[in-house]
Amino acid sequence: MTKKKTKSNFEQDLSRLEEISRILEEDNVELEEAITLFDEGVKLSKSCLKTLKEAELKITELKSELGKYTQIEE
Amino acid sequence: MENEKQILTVSELTKEIRKTLEETFEQVSVIGEISNFKSHISGHWYFSLKDADAVINCTMWKGFNQYVFFTPQDGMKIIVNGKLTVYPPRGSYQLDVRSMKPAGLGELQEAFEKLKKKLEAEGLFDEKFKKPIPTFPEKIGIVTAIDGAALRDLISVAKRRFPLVEIVIAPARVQGSGAATAIVNSIQLLNEYTGIDVIIVARGGGSIEDLWAFNEEIVARAIFKSKVPIISGVGHEVDFTIADYVADLRAPTPSVAMEIATPDVIEIKNFINDFISKSSTYIEEIIETRLQDVTALNKSYGFRLPMDILNRKMQQVDISIGRILQSKEKYSMVYDKKISLLSKSLEAYDVQRSLKRGFVLVNQNSKFVTRASDFNKEKNARLKFYDGEVTIH
Repeated sequence: MTKKKTKSNFEQDLSRLEEISRILEEDNVELEEAITLFDEGVKLSKSCLKTLKEAELKITELKSELGKYTQIEE
Repeated sequence: MENEKQILTVSELTKEIRKTLEETFEQVSVIGEISNFKSHISGHWYFSLKDADAVINCTMWKGFNQYVFFTPQDGMKIIVNGKLTVYPPRGSYQLDVRSMKPAGLGELQEAFEKLKKKLEAEGLFDEKFKKPIPTFPEKIGIVTAIDGAALRDLISVAKRRFPLVEIVIAPARVQGSGAATAIVNSIQLLNEYTGIDVIIVARGGGSIEDLWAFNEEIVARAIFKSKVPIISGVGHEVDFTIADYVADLRAPTPSVAMEIATPDVIEIKNFINDFISKSSTYIEEIIETRLQDVTALNKSYGFRLPMDILNRKMQQVDISIGRILQSKEKYSMVYDKKISLLSKSLEAYDVQRSLKRGFVLVNQNSKFVTRASDFNKEKNARLKFYDGEVTIH
């Protein structure tokens, strides 16, 4: 594995949502900004929930043969 | 010459000794302590067994030692089974070991403690080497038996908690001989595979012998060397293995290992739903706050000032209008007087009065005749007296 990879889209979306939630909670945002953030948050929420709903566990099995590894997708 | 007949070559004698020994000690079980243990690159094992007063050399060929579930360590008390044989080039007898087991569970425990101490002293358990476990893994590597209950548990937990993840299984024997090597290979394999965020090394419950592979030094070193963080989930809650100590995180069971490795989808959903309801409230609060701000501003002195100014101006206007009205009244009175005066003087010139005094107005063709030269004798004329009119022809 190389160094830490970039975050997955889902992780990015979720952390952005957390950020928005924090900003809104602080209550010193401009009204226009708050509404923009809220809109963004709702969109992110929907896409995250959709991703979770459609998620299906992917399983890969690695096989070792004579020092050569082949990959088997289930 | 009888004596000459008795003379044997070294090889002949050795052969005789070998035959005698092998026939006499074809199947022996011996208990003793291991010393000078060496695992040769060829896979054969060479060591000595000893007790307080004696020592015997031992060999254990690869074909046999691959079935030993533990790696022998110096000082470990074992029971071996094998046959006695002779190694002619060295003129020494040795035990050809076919099977081996620890003299008691205490031996394994001791070996465990010994290795633990050694690795601990080397710093393999140090907190500073522990790698953080990622919160949102994309790929989780698993090292366990492909047909084990542990794998089924791991997959079902992953499915339930975070189906977004990809499971990459590097199967390995987790019990018996060769298990340690297989585990090491699988850990390396997953380290070479792209994008593995965390590795779970797992095995279901079992006896100390069953779990022994996780107490082997090579496994410990492979876990330590892994660049990908490793969670160990071996046996039950009460079972502690060397692997647990070296791992970046120890989980009591395989299922818990997967729980640690994955975020809970239900928690995430709750968070998101929470966000939607909470942030609506925030927005309402923000609007309410702004509304209060606006109302407060409206009532503020600064905002009242223009109204005051306006009111004052209004007052001025009112006053001016009042004045204008007053002066109008005044003027009207003046004019009224003038008018009555004028009326009176006009009265003086009133025709009626003249008529009363005996004057007559002469009207011809609807015009007053003011000069004698204008009078037409041929036409009718109307004479207007004080008390009436007459027409003359």
